[in-house]
Amino acid sequence: MPIKVLSRLNRMLERITEQLFLVCAVISAMITVLIFGFMVIFGLPLIKGGQFFHLLTQPWLPYHNLYGIYPMIAGTIFIASLGVVFAFPLSIGCASLISVIDGGVFSRVLRRVVQLMTGIPTVIYGFVGLFLLVPTVRELFLSGSGMCVLSASIMLAILIAPTMILFFVDSFESVPNSYMQAVDSLGGSKVQKLIYVVIPESWSGILTGLVLALGRALGDTLIALMIAGNAVQVPCSLLDSARTLTAHIALVIAADYESLEFKAIFACGIALYIFTTLLVVLVRSFRYNSRRGQV
Amino acid sequence: MDKSIKIKTENLFFSYHNNLVLKNVSVEFREHYISAIIGPSGIGKSTFLMTLNRLWESISGAAMKGKIKIQFDGEFQDIYDQSYSLTNLRRSVGMVFQTPNPLPMSIYRNVAFPLKLAGHKKKDYIDHMVEEALKRAYLWGEVKDRLHNDAFTLSGGQQQRLCIARSLILEPEILLFDEPTSSLDAESGMGIEELLVSLKEQCTLLVVSHYGDQVKRIADTVVELSDGHLIPVNE
Amino acid sequence: MNRSLEIAIAVCSWLCGIVLLGTVCTIIGYIAFNGLGTLKMQLLFGDINPLDALLLRKQVFDGLFPAIVGTLLLVILSVGIAIPIGMASGVYMAEYANDRVKKVFSLLFDILASVPSIVIGLFGFTLAVFLHKHFSENIYPSLFISSISLAFLVLPYIIRTTQIALENLPPKTRLAALALGATKLQNIIYVLIPKSLSGIISGVILAIGRCAEDTAVIMLTGVVASAGVPKSLLAQYEALPFYIYYISSQYRNTEELLSGYGASIILLVICTVLFFCAFMIQRGLTYRALYRA
Repeated sequence: MPIKVLSRLNRMLERITEQLFLVCAVISAMITVLIFGFMVIFGLPLIKGGQFFHLLTQPWLPYHNLYGIYPMIAGTIFIASLGVVFAFPLSIGCASLISVIDGGVFSRVLRRVVQLMTGIPTVIYGFVGLFLLVPTVRELFLSGSGMCVLSASIMLAILIAPTMILFFVDSFESVPNSYMQAVDSLGGSKVQKLIYVVIPESWSGILTGLVLALGRALGDTLIALMIAGNAVQVPCSLLDSARTLTAHIALVIAADYESLEFKAIFACGIALYIFTTLLVVLVRSFRYNSRRGQV
Repeated sequence: MDKSIKIKTENLFFSYHNNLVLKNVSVEFREHYISAIIGPSGIGKSTFLMTLNRLWESISGAAMKGKIKIQFDGEFQDIYDQSYSLTNLRRSVGMVFQTPNPLPMSIYRNVAFPLKLAGHKKKDYIDHMVEEALKRAYLWGEVKDRLHNDAFTLSGGQQQRLCIARSLILEPEILLFDEPTSSLDAESGMGIEELLVSLKEQCTLLVVSHYGDQVKRIADTVVELSDGHLIPVNE
Repeated sequence: MNRSLEIAIAVCSWLCGIVLLGTVCTIIGYIAFNGLGTLKMQLLFGDINPLDALLLRKQVFDGLFPAIVGTLLLVILSVGIAIPIGMASGVYMAEYANDRVKKVFSLLFDILASVPSIVIGLFGFTLAVFLHKHFSENIYPSLFISSISLAFLVLPYIIRTTQIALENLPPKTRLAALALGATKLQNIIYVLIPKSLSGIISGVILAIGRCAEDTAVIMLTGVVASAGVPKSLLAQYEALPFYIYYISSQYRNTEELLSGYGASIILLVICTVLFFCAFMIQRGLTYRALYRA
């Protein structure tokens, strides 16, 4: 074939491939939008009937035909926040140990172990939590079944800690070496280095890690499903049983498809989607406001 | 009059990942002298400086053998002795690096930082010491009205003088300078040189330099590092 | 800060490390202790002869074999769908997209990455309903629907790792082939992708691990407790993580509970091996990629 035709074919091939890549990217992006779209479409009867906002604030009383998801919203916020509250100090402590305070064998082992932990399946945390943690909580507090907000939060904290730790370690280790050298040459101790230079410099990284962990905690299904007790009530104490939005979806999916009860889970889906999207936007605003504004 | 010995090394060996950088170095440095250390690039001059404040210990793969003794209050102290505190060593032996390394704080807090590390809290005392240190570093006039500005707003030469002020505030007896003017322009460099000479009175200075004329201008004695050995150079 | 506060802070850090290490050891130890005894052929194949089961001559009803097959099929299908689309998207983001497009898509991909897995499962369910109504009455929550949904779940991982791996290539590498007259596409296929292979593959392995361990998505899209080895894409199926969840609340006797521990060990080992592979590949492939194409 003459070279001109060959090269025109090649150029066409290039352009087609580029379009193909674009199509794939668009498909991927559209999925994000479609997820929200389908939630809204299937939950449309609720929104149309003006019941959506009622749903968000009412309790769940099937016998009274009330399908408010407010107790689940409370449960989600309670358990997720508590999980982060437990995980945060643990993670900062471990990250400090790994990056600054100890440089020896223990921190190297710890780092590897933490990396390994990120691969442990959630269902296994739930399983162990159910058979080890729940009885312990039950014995310790001598009330209830042990399946409560406290147990779920503790297990959740263990779930999200490894990712947080690795994130913090990354932030700590990107503090410029010249600062570390300066503190060393002035006779500063490791703890002084940590408190006066490393942590203040990593502030935005720490905040980002915190918000990411919160997102992860909000979105977890299995731990809450297996350990939190799933009672449909607004939890008033740590030992109360509670249900999260995620667990609610998993439990109600078996109900009659046409019922209002069923449609309520789309409200859960919408609520979760909006929560996590807001967190994503929040994290992006941190990154934008800190040093590099590149997306 | 010949000044007394301040620093002496005995049979010093140093290696990075089993490559010998310093071989059997036994050398003495006199008090209140500016001693220059010269030699080709990358040969180990900075390494030698770091043996004097034990900064090499945070680098992996580095190993040292031998003794280093520094004279404090008339007595020689083995600085690698277990009982001698690392913090005390680094407060008595200050170091200024090739590239200025201010901390991400204001000018005032940078200079006051060593005092904070040492546990001083009285504001009046700190204010006074900061002013003294900045004056000794010939920087006070230029920054006295903007002490709370970020240290990175200073020019290169000013940042270097800031780092020198920071090292001076605890009144160290020895100051180590690792090519203090090589990242600066000629004019700032001259300023630093004048500063170094003025510091001789209160401190003992060791200056690594690869500028021959700088050495001629400021040094009292010169040693050359070649093939792992430190050899005195006679002018 | 006085000396005692410094010591307290250091002690707290050490305590955190010890607590974390202790917790992991407890979790893994507890499962290993209870489950090691059950790791026999019987756990996998029940009363059926292993050979018969493997050749699909007979169905296994009280063994983990169908669940393991189910998980395997899930992983292969979902990752098989996600890799081409994800890599293509990643290449587009790194090599072709202009800044504005990049910003928008990057936001959408970040959102997709943080959507809770149960919501993706819900989406898969609604997709099944939609397809059932508008395409074919035969479509129900099944292996097919689960694979697509899992693909959605791991798509952001693959896109992100591909994009980052390509973007982190040094400028010299990018320009070398172009200077010799290669087209943009040739550069991507013959130079850039091979050089970023280790990053891309570690993303793929992450995706594989995610598919193997996920429970929430499959719960809503077709997994059941007992279905045997799936006969077609549109059939229901079993999976290892779901088995563990199901057994934890529905066990009828000690034997069944212990099988849950056994299944946990198997799942743990699979995920650990995958993590280890990703780690080794990251170290090893970079070395080889520099000496091959």
